[in-house]
Amino acid sequence: MTPGSRLAAGTPVRVRTGDPRTHCRTPHYLRGKCGIVVRALGDYPNPEELAYHRPGMPALALYQVEFDSAQVWGDRLREAPYRIVADIFEHWLEPAGAAG
Amino acid sequence: MTTGAHSVHDLGGDPAGPVDREEHARTLFDQRVDAMLRLLAHPQKGYFTVDAMRRSIESLAPVDYHALGYYERWLRAVRQLAIERGLVSAAELEQRMTQIAQARQASPQNMPGQDRQ
Repeated sequence: MTPGSRLAAGTPVRVRTGDPRTHCRTPHYLRGKCGIVVRALGDYPNPEELAYHRPGMPALALYQVEFDSAQVWGDRLREAPYRIVADIFEHWLEPAGAAG
Repeated sequence: MTTGAHSVHDLGGDPAGPVDREEHARTLFDQRVDAMLRLLAHPQKGYFTVDAMRRSIESLAPVDYHALGYYERWLRAVRQLAIERGLVSAAELEQRMTQIAQARQASPQNMPGQDRQ
């Protein structure tokens, strides 16, 4: 996603992969997974910068993204499928065609 | 594709028991740690952010992370960040802790800052 772009509710997205050793709010189990934007939550200073006493500007858009637990856990799912909703910053999201 | 190794706090998907949903009574210790964090992280003071707190807690050694209680982790982080930001030095803290330990030994009944439930 380009900085400043706005994702509408319903947009299919994929969470970027990557394993930073630094502070990161994106749960590891969602990396590489496809989801749908539920809504934009507003712009916030980047916590990956704030964590090291830096200003974290420009602010980044934070999105509520929903995932299908069956897609996230695959054959590790032990109960009826449910919705996983996570707050994910724009720089961790990339476009996904048809969400898998 | 999910990445392999991950930080100790980021435990989604790891094997675990049921979630403890009980309310826990906050001790005086818990409230003091909470108060320290709120004062130091207050925007008007701005010594550090909640994000820095999280980073500090997440970088605890896994053995410490699991052995410490919730507010004990907070206290470790407040201590580390206060030193990082130059509010207090590790030597000053050490000295003060020695003083308190000595005072406690001398007069166990009359301990300033003694934790009462």
